[in-house]
Amino acid sequence: MTKLNTTFKTGALALLVAAPLAVATPAIAQQYPDPAQTLDWTIAFGPGGGNDIMARTIVEILNTYDLYPGDIALENRAGGSGAVGWGYLANQAGSAYGISTTSGSFITTPLQADTGWAITDFTPIALLAADDLVLVVNGDSPIQNLDEFIAFAQANPISISGIGTVNVDFIVPALFAQEAGFEFEYISFNAMADQITAVLSGAVDAMMSNPGEILGLIDSGDLRPLVFTGRSTPEALAGVPNFAELGIGVEVSMPRGLILAPDAPAEAQEFWIETMRRVVETPEWQAYITNNTLTPTILFGDDFRDFLANTQEDFATVLREVGAID
Amino acid sequence: MDLFANLLMGLELAINPINIAYLLVGSMVGMIVGVIPGFGPSAGLAILLPITIGMDPVGATMMLAAIYYGSMYGGTITSILLNTPGESATVASTFDGYPMAKAGRAGPALVMQAVASFVGGTVGVIMITLLAPAFAQVSRSFGPPEYFLLAAMGMLTLVVMIGNHWKLGVISALIGFALGTVGVDLETGQGRYTFGSPDLIGGIYFIPIAIGLFGLGELFYAFYSGMHKSESGGLIDYSKEKEFWPNRNDFLSTRWTMVRGSILGFVVGVMPGAGATIASLMAYSTERSLSKTPENFGKGEMAGLVAPESANNAASSGAMIPLLTLGIPGSASTAVLLAAFIMWGLRPGPLFMGQNPELAWGLIASMYLGNVALLAISIFAIPLFVQIIKVPYRILGPVIVVICTLGTFVVHASFVEVGLMFAAGIAGFFMRLYGFSPAALVLALVLGPLAEQALRQTLTISRGSFGIFLDRPASVWIMVVTAALLLILPIMGKIGSRAGKAERAGG
Amino acid sequence: MRIAFLLTVLGGAIFYTYIAFTDLGFMTRTGRLGPGFFPRVVGLGIVVFTLWALFDALRDARLSAQGAAVTGPGDAHSTGRWRDAATLMGLAVGYGILLPIFGGFVATVIYMLIALSIINSGKHLLNVILAIVIPAGVYLLFDRILNASMPPAMFDIIPF
Repeated sequence: MTKLNTTFKTGALALLVAAPLAVATPAIAQQYPDPAQTLDWTIAFGPGGGNDIMARTIVEILNTYDLYPGDIALENRAGGSGAVGWGYLANQAGSAYGISTTSGSFITTPLQADTGWAITDFTPIALLAADDLVLVVNGDSPIQNLDEFIAFAQANPISISGIGTVNVDFIVPALFAQEAGFEFEYISFNAMADQITAVLSGAVDAMMSNPGEILGLIDSGDLRPLVFTGRSTPEALAGVPNFAELGIGVEVSMPRGLILAPDAPAEAQEFWIETMRRVVETPEWQAYITNNTLTPTILFGDDFRDFLANTQEDFATVLREVGAID
Repeated sequence: MDLFANLLMGLELAINPINIAYLLVGSMVGMIVGVIPGFGPSAGLAILLPITIGMDPVGATMMLAAIYYGSMYGGTITSILLNTPGESATVASTFDGYPMAKAGRAGPALVMQAVASFVGGTVGVIMITLLAPAFAQVSRSFGPPEYFLLAAMGMLTLVVMIGNHWKLGVISALIGFALGTVGVDLETGQGRYTFGSPDLIGGIYFIPIAIGLFGLGELFYAFYSGMHKSESGGLIDYSKEKEFWPNRNDFLSTRWTMVRGSILGFVVGVMPGAGATIASLMAYSTERSLSKTPENFGKGEMAGLVAPESANNAASSGAMIPLLTLGIPGSASTAVLLAAFIMWGLRPGPLFMGQNPELAWGLIASMYLGNVALLAISIFAIPLFVQIIKVPYRILGPVIVVICTLGTFVVHASFVEVGLMFAAGIAGFFMRLYGFSPAALVLALVLGPLAEQALRQTLTISRGSFGIFLDRPASVWIMVVTAALLLILPIMGKIGSRAGKAERAGG
Repeated sequence: MRIAFLLTVLGGAIFYTYIAFTDLGFMTRTGRLGPGFFPRVVGLGIVVFTLWALFDALRDARLSAQGAAVTGPGDAHSTGRWRDAATLMGLAVGYGILLPIFGGFVATVIYMLIALSIINSGKHLLNVILAIVIPAGVYLLFDRILNASMPPAMFDIIPF
């Protein structure tokens, strides 16, 4: 049984509209996709989460702009921190109609458990966005900027909090501390609420967080942003320097992208690369990026696979050093 | 005054046919979601969130909030009728609710829980209206040391749950703590008892365990005791059917319990992360200590049901304070509400209420209306629910298995959790049979990880020193209050029970 | 049976404690409480208390063996009771196995048919009606009204 079947009309009118758009690869468009086949779209997490909302946003855009001619069956296959859903996709090797969205767990789950698949098994389509982080301190803190933060951290014991250990929240400050030459105690939380009050109550000195959930506290001055870890600072954090501007070479972020089943046919991969090029241009996608304070980071095909492999390697290196994984 | 102008504006927004419709739909969905074991508020909200993408934020927020607090009304119904708590916050309601139903007082128990929920919810929203800024200060002073103390306070209530066979009760609680250590260790990232299985990375969730231990365990026990052979309901004695409505004494004897439960529940609910579970347990054990007849607790004492019910509803209102005033989600459910705000492009935080007065005050005003609506829906629905359990047990039994199974599946769409639920069900049967305490196990499973994580975070922050508990004003306050309660409650309880005995001896 | 149950708990506890001592560190490398700290304390606690309870149970068993009147479960009447509880457990577990194979709706129909024919035997018409109406009602409520997914099937037999 499938739920929320999103059906796309395959009427002549839709084809007329879609055909001129598909100019890039007209020959391939005739072979793939076959409108008679249902696209099996796996969401490896439950409804309401980040991965789920991203998948539904993309499908909504495909729907609005008639970018996919067949039926799309969206299915939440949750379990094992994504292992179940992506495992399901891994078992469809060779299929052109199995697709899934990725999120941070795509990288971290295989590091923590025997999933039976590796991230490089899948056919990469595109990296669409990255979850970058912001380093904040309590608004009452004497630390005003990143230089003062580094100077303070080199002279005093300092604590930085984040969500979980096998996560960018830990990997990014760990790499940053190596480069800037300071040591810190990492305080791991499993929920945003406890972590924010830990900073507001003065229990921990600083926090690494996705900007989205704390923008309100940054606006009110309760939290002071020191640095954004991505390549370009989002509008909502205007005035905050980023790692790239400061010449800090830490480039680890959680990838939000799209993958096909392992060994998917080349024409399917090309079709989806072309389609996603159009998706990321739509105002709906821009609104999604802005509302979630993501960094639009776009890589296609093998570049995306290399990005995934490099990110996982960065994770593995840091985690091995602290003994979290063997 | 500003406050009342805001509240009036909120009421005007809420009393609009479309918003009232959203509110009623939300309340009904909340009730249903609450009634189904497993399918609690956070799962219900998460599943319904995508539907609200295109809706007007004010109406959508009213609907989502109604689902959230409405589920607290529905959550107790199965606790009372089937001994199956729909969520951790209603575990405490099984202690006296189910014995009451077994004694033929299902009607009064259900009505009184609705009344207690109404009082708790309404006191909660009045306190939000009047005291939100003051409580925002409290919730922002909580760090890991305070959470550890709070969890430790919650654990004190385990002593009450342990039951007659104290050794078996201690074993039950320890098993709960042991299950709570499964999963990737938060601090080091190392797997504990995961054996390479991706299903165990996230740990063992308490919902499948609670449904199995209480719901299925009780069901297997009912078959063991031959209830399915009875032609009538068998579970519940209907000889007193006329006593559907609570009597005067039920109201009179619990009026202060409701007030105390509401205030306590609200205050605990304000602490992000502590929430309704700890609130309901603390209210239960406080009432038991204050009671003139503590020996009746666990055997169907009305105060033992009313206290946790008023507390968990007040706590769910209290949890709105950090959300509205700081943009901090205090529970899994408010985290989904926060996600909804972000999805609509809003920025929850300290400036949120000032920047979006319609949304914030519309929401608060709708909570007054929502509680009234829910009380009415409950009173209307209770006779229907009582009919359901008149179904002979040999038909109801197999159906309960279906509801528990699908309710468990829905939460995370996980077959592994369904398997865990069955395992817990079989274990729960034997625990019940041999005098172990399933309640202590579930509570230890909820509180253990909280306490362990908070303690280890605290000691990492303080670099191994326990002095941090004395350095922080908030943590000193908690210790003082706890010590005072520990000293005062037993004394008051003793005086109370002596007075009670004297009365009975005299009368 | 009580002794068997306690022995099962003891076995689990020893395994749990063994892992806590062999795989999990007592302290972290920076000298903080490690991942093995609580498991070791908790594991030892369960072992000690279970042994104690086991000792009590064995003593009770000896006392009741000496006494003439045996009261606990073990008489002829209780075999029927055990059988009924075990039947329902078996049915429930069977249902759990059917679910991933046939999906929420079909598995529930099959399970209800079998369960009712055993527990509510003889009333064929009522049982068949219930076995269709209840899964249909649950499907409507979960899948259509509340928008929650029912367990998906390995093979989709029905088209919705």
